[in-house]
Amino acid sequence: MSTGKELTRWLDDLLTEIEGIEVRRKSNKRLQVDIAPDALPALLALLRGRASYVHLSAISCVDWPNEEQFELVYHLWSYEMQSLVSAHTRIPREPGVYLSVYDIYPPAAFYERDIHEFYGIRFEGSPDLSKFILTEWDGPPPMRKDFDSEAWVHDHFDWQDYNPEWLQQLIAEGGGIAIRADEQRFSHHDDARDQPAVSQREPERDRQSPNTPEQPS
Amino acid sequence: MANAGKITGPGDALPVQAGKRTNPLAHVFDELIAFARSRSMFMLHYCTGCGAVELPPAMTSRFDMERLGIQPMVTPRQADILLVTGYVSVKTLKRVILTYEQMAAPKYVIGICSCTVNGGMYWQSYATAKKLNDYMPVDIYIAGCMPRPEAVIAGMRGLMEQIRTGEATAWEDYYRRYDHYLGNQQRLFGETWQTPTDIIAEAEHYDLIGPETRGEHTALLEKHQKPLEALQMQLTFGELERRF
Repeated sequence: MSTGKELTRWLDDLLTEIEGIEVRRKSNKRLQVDIAPDALPALLALLRGRASYVHLSAISCVDWPNEEQFELVYHLWSYEMQSLVSAHTRIPREPGVYLSVYDIYPPAAFYERDIHEFYGIRFEGSPDLSKFILTEWDGPPPMRKDFDSEAWVHDHFDWQDYNPEWLQQLIAEGGGIAIRADEQRFSHHDDARDQPAVSQREPERDRQSPNTPEQPS
Repeated sequence: MANAGKITGPGDALPVQAGKRTNPLAHVFDELIAFARSRSMFMLHYCTGCGAVELPPAMTSRFDMERLGIQPMVTPRQADILLVTGYVSVKTLKRVILTYEQMAAPKYVIGICSCTVNGGMYWQSYATAKKLNDYMPVDIYIAGCMPRPEAVIAGMRGLMEQIRTGEATAWEDYYRRYDHYLGNQQRLFGETWQTPTDIIAEAEHYDLIGPETRGEHTALLEKHQKPLEALQMQLTFGELERRF
């Protein structure tokens, strides 16, 4: 354990020596590095080749539409130091092109293909950027903040009509809601405090369901 | 026709309906067949979502679906019921439709959970289909998030009753209104969407061609349809052949 701590301190010292990057120690096991996009592949090569960070556990992407940027986070894990380095970099949202790190970490191919699909970032040098999970998808990249999922859903799907008689049918068969909303345990407190709301709600409920059979008690 | 849905007791005269067949006993056997069919059903459970966890208790010793004559089946070709348990993503929906079309008629579809009714908690997700009955006819929905095994059993009993009385004819709707279902499928999968099953030929076979079987969407399908090719039969034993 002590060697691990020493190595960690050594790594902090080493990284703070490099110009143009910002190193923040989050905890014993986590280190956040903010780095310019053109220097990131060199940092990854350094961490992998010289500092035992052999496991690229994920590449995550954050969309910052107001700043017109994508933030890419490379999570690197070292089995020997038992610590994680998150390398953050920001690339311009347009045209959304960045370098692949496939030559340093071969598993990056999957993450890059995934990010390409969900955010539309093109990674130069990535071996395969064909469709991965959304094989039926032909719309815009859906995880971008400017993609309106709700509008897309309204365009592409129909909605089930509301059939209140289905519930009546269920109740007539002896099933359905046994405890009404205002009789539930958790709503007593609110009802006692908020009397007018109850008196408004009561006639509405009676009007909506005149044919409700008596609940078996 | 009025007593078509009525349950006949043991002493009642069986209803005889005018049909194509001249054999008066044919419909007697229809009743018998419907009775037998409702009590021996093989179920293909397409476990797409979380509702599937309610099926093991429903099928195993505690609630014991088998006492109703419902058994799990491994292949769609031998199954009567397609049970879609939970949300259906667009990608899964293709497979569900392929599965449904492989099943031999008469076939029944049960949608379990709110997600198959209207998308449930995934109502605003771009990746999840909302109404299962847009894409295939559904006999019974068992609503709930998730329905308890009692509700599953109750839904199954409802389906059994519908089969026995001859009301569960939703599968015919797929042939009669194929253009409608195909249109919804094409809306999601694009106009080149096709399945290996020739539904119109099957509709002709079952004598279920309706005015809405063919339409603009089937015309589009015929335009893009590629004829099926038989799979090449090939057996190679690479390593074994080299060794012996």
